[in-house]
Amino acid sequence: MSNLLKKDWFGLGLVIILGSILISFFKPAFISPFNLYVLMLSVSLMLVVAMSQMIIIAIGQMNLSVGAIGGLVAISFTGLMEVYSMSILPAMLIGLLIGLACGFINGYITVKTGISAFIITLATLYIFKGMNLGITEAQPFYEIPDAVKFFGNAKILGPIPYLVIIPIIITILMWILMNRTSLGRYMLAYGNNVQSSELIGISSTKIVIYAHVISGLLAAIGGMLVVCRLQLGTPNIGDSWLLPSFAAPVIGGAILAGGKVDVIATAFGVILVSIISQALVIFKIDPFFVQIFLGFMILLAVFINRYREYREERRTKVFSYE
Amino acid sequence: MNFKIPNFVKTNQFGLLCLVIIFICIFSFSTDGFTSRFNIYALSRVVALDIMIGLAMMVVILTGGLNLSLGALGVSAAMFGGWCMESMGIPISISIILVLAFGSFLGWINGFVTVRTGVHSFIVTLATMSIYFGFMTLLTEAEAFRKLPEIFTDFGSLKLFNKYISPLLIISVLTCFILYYVFKYTDIGRKLIAAGANPDAAELSGISVDRMFIYCHMLSGFLAALAGIMLTARIGAAIPSMAGHLGFDWLLPAFLAPVLGGTLLSGGKVTVFGTMLGAILVTLINNGLYLIDVGEFWVRFFLGMILLGAVLLDRAREYFTVKNSIVS
Repeated sequence: MSNLLKKDWFGLGLVIILGSILISFFKPAFISPFNLYVLMLSVSLMLVVAMSQMIIIAIGQMNLSVGAIGGLVAISFTGLMEVYSMSILPAMLIGLLIGLACGFINGYITVKTGISAFIITLATLYIFKGMNLGITEAQPFYEIPDAVKFFGNAKILGPIPYLVIIPIIITILMWILMNRTSLGRYMLAYGNNVQSSELIGISSTKIVIYAHVISGLLAAIGGMLVVCRLQLGTPNIGDSWLLPSFAAPVIGGAILAGGKVDVIATAFGVILVSIISQALVIFKIDPFFVQIFLGFMILLAVFINRYREYREERRTKVFSYE
Repeated sequence: MNFKIPNFVKTNQFGLLCLVIIFICIFSFSTDGFTSRFNIYALSRVVALDIMIGLAMMVVILTGGLNLSLGALGVSAAMFGGWCMESMGIPISISIILVLAFGSFLGWINGFVTVRTGVHSFIVTLATMSIYFGFMTLLTEAEAFRKLPEIFTDFGSLKLFNKYISPLLIISVLTCFILYYVFKYTDIGRKLIAAGANPDAAELSGISVDRMFIYCHMLSGFLAALAGIMLTARIGAAIPSMAGHLGFDWLLPAFLAPVLGGTLLSGGKVTVFGTMLGAILVTLINNGLYLIDVGEFWVRFFLGMILLGAVLLDRAREYFTVKNSIVS
């Protein structure tokens, strides 16, 4: 039990459960099937985006171009199907390939030049977004095959949408990657301390490129899922991903300097953010408040993490005196 | 063998100056209208703002941090100014002082939270960006202030020097000189640089690093608010969307100018005139891309490529100068 209390996700889980009970007590509409359906849709999309950012946070960097990759893949995916009348599977594969290539570019340039990932991904953000606008000229693609539309709309059982399947699989795979494989552990080691990880023989090049490639792939999947959900490919897909992509891992206790992320806590962070956004809508609060709220939640999470670190430090100090 | 390259030539500013001259030559020969009075006047109005935004980012990069909330902060301050002048009828001069104080206060929040939590300013300003922008949209209900005092809006469309130059550019250049003086010759300026270059050493020599970092963020807020006022004067109205969603339109020029100018992202180095040249180069390229008709949708793509090229070139320059110094 005391072990459970120490986990990042435990407190978050408690907040989610208590919060949901409280909200549904005041507004029973919160647990209506339709509301749950909408909630699950938003959770499943943001889950992929958050994982895409989380893996870069794990190696102590940041990826500003997550949204731009998602947008570029989204319009390529729909564009290939509409303009070149490609079938779904090859269009999807090419979409994934574009995500992979974008991630590879980010990772390769970052690790080979040693320039901070922030500035590289800021530049690629504009490059990918510029390509997106150059190709589409800011016009959406509307012709989506019915199968894709069906996947975005259909429900498996009750309020559970089909769209939730892929994000759940991704979350499980990410958990396995970060907790059970040597690649994941190497990433965390690299994020924690670059010098010592190099000294014990971890290849920086490999780790950074792998992390960025995975991030690019996840962003690509996120972009295509949004296409399924919206039933069209607009060039502004991904524009609003930046804030939530950082919010969930940070609320989940990730340390931005790298070396510490928690997949389950990140997933809970996504759920928490979605529930709060949804609650604000149900209580008819101005939608602009959602943004302010998200900002305050990040700051709050940052303060709580800091406080816990501080307590941890004090505890270890006491032990060292004994 | 003893051929020595003058120090000035090795600096980043020299390379930038060459690039600026080359681009001016290319654009004035290859396009009509680049040297027209109208285009130069339009350029001077844009450059003025880009310089100010670049400086606002530069003073935070000095601490090794960054300020994502720059655009949101500038627009919030500008909207506050619009409210002061239009709704409250406060005289222009007092309004401007209030706006600058407001900007500094928002910057202080950024600095205070960053220093107190010890979290990288990226995440703090990411959060405050959405908070500032959210509150601004909420309070203004996304309505613009369009009935500003005429003296104020006339100033923005004033033409000086045979109608070539906007007075806004003079404000920006003046700010550059003041900042240069502050960083080069004053006690506080040197302390700011010392705190950014090596926080531990600065702390040990009796400088309060936390306070210096907060000052940097306040200065950034001040300059962003000034940029907001200038943009309001230029447009003739205070519009919530004038820097794009969440103020993101300011972000690329904000980073391009200091990075091109040779400001180190790890902190501890400022190049005021480099930033100015960087901003000029960005504006030139932007303007030139429109003039040679690359298509408005591809402009972003090229700007991104230029940022990438600039940092790679800078890396190469660093590499070669280091190698040179080892050999000699």
